[in-house]
Amino acid sequence: MARCLARARFIIGAWVVLLALAIALPASAQRNPDGSVNPTASAVKEQQLLDALQSGGSISGRVSIPDQKSANLIHPAGRDWRQFHEVTLRWIGAIAVLGMLIILVAFYLIRGQVKLESGYSGRRIVRFNAFERFVHWMTATCFIILALSGLNITFGKPLLMPLLGEGAFAAWAQWAKYAHNYLSFPFAIGVFCVLLMWIGGNIPNKVDVEWLKRGGGIVGHDHPPAYRFNAGQKMIYWIVVIGGTAVAISGYLLMFPFYATGIEGMQLAQTVHAIIAVLFVAAMLGHIYIGTIGMEGAFEAMGEGTVDVNWAKEHHALWLEQEMARTGPNESQRQPMATPAE
Amino acid sequence: MKTFLLACVAAVVIATVAGFALNAVQKPAEQAYSTTGVRL
Repeated sequence: MARCLARARFIIGAWVVLLALAIALPASAQRNPDGSVNPTASAVKEQQLLDALQSGGSISGRVSIPDQKSANLIHPAGRDWRQFHEVTLRWIGAIAVLGMLIILVAFYLIRGQVKLESGYSGRRIVRFNAFERFVHWMTATCFIILALSGLNITFGKPLLMPLLGEGAFAAWAQWAKYAHNYLSFPFAIGVFCVLLMWIGGNIPNKVDVEWLKRGGGIVGHDHPPAYRFNAGQKMIYWIVVIGGTAVAISGYLLMFPFYATGIEGMQLAQTVHAIIAVLFVAAMLGHIYIGTIGMEGAFEAMGEGTVDVNWAKEHHALWLEQEMARTGPNESQRQPMATPAE
Repeated sequence: MKTFLLACVAAVVIATVAGFALNAVQKPAEQAYSTTGVRL
């Protein structure tokens, strides 16, 4: 009996010692050296995890793979970023792109095509040389593919995946992403060439103020004079140069993850990239509209390289004067309509 | 039209060169994020 009591005392005593040790363990054992909560600690308390999340801190553990960033179990900023790209960005993109499409359709129905009021003269003048058109089309075709593949990243899952099915959408999205990554290089080169090629004609001046005051000849039937590029074209130029540079830089930060920035920088780069890109798409829809169905004779400038002299007189009178002064009226007007400047 | 086609060809050529360059610089995720002990 006495031996049984002694054994019981020993067992109870051992449990008391173990319990005392567990209580006495310092709180630092549940924290990483950097102060964040370690969820793999043996006695982490739920309240500690909640407190860490409330204060914006991260919850990290330990991993054995080379990428130590994967030890981060929960990072509250990631929730804000997910909310942005799953909800906020879709609203911004939908409003920008659909809003612009609605405006353009309404404008076309109300105003109609801007006609060449004096009609075709049959005499042509070179508007863009072959290299300028080459750079424009290289940048433009890349932009269209970049825009479609980029919009697929934002809108593909809710809009396309239900139509295509998961397997087909995955294959399409993968190839779209390859195209997005690789075509960014000729696009960036194109934007750089555009910057150098046309900066001389795109510095804002007083003529632009007058052009804007008179509605640019698009609202109403006025024909305010302009040099080679009017205020509207200058806006497009600077949108392409500044917007293109911004999407290129933010895009390359995403393409080379964690080379130049941490996770917060990556999230910021994605946010900047996405917002500028959808606004860029909306602006380019306006550019495509006015360069095609919006204005009679406009597409020929970039399609063939030449425009009708009457078109130049109506929309770029000051530029026409400069060209005629430079080359002489016979030189600049000699090209017949059927001879594109290839 | 000739200029447009030439621009498209140039874009594809530059993109292809960029693709090879990128693949030379970066490893696929399954290699970049695994230990040396993992056999793939």
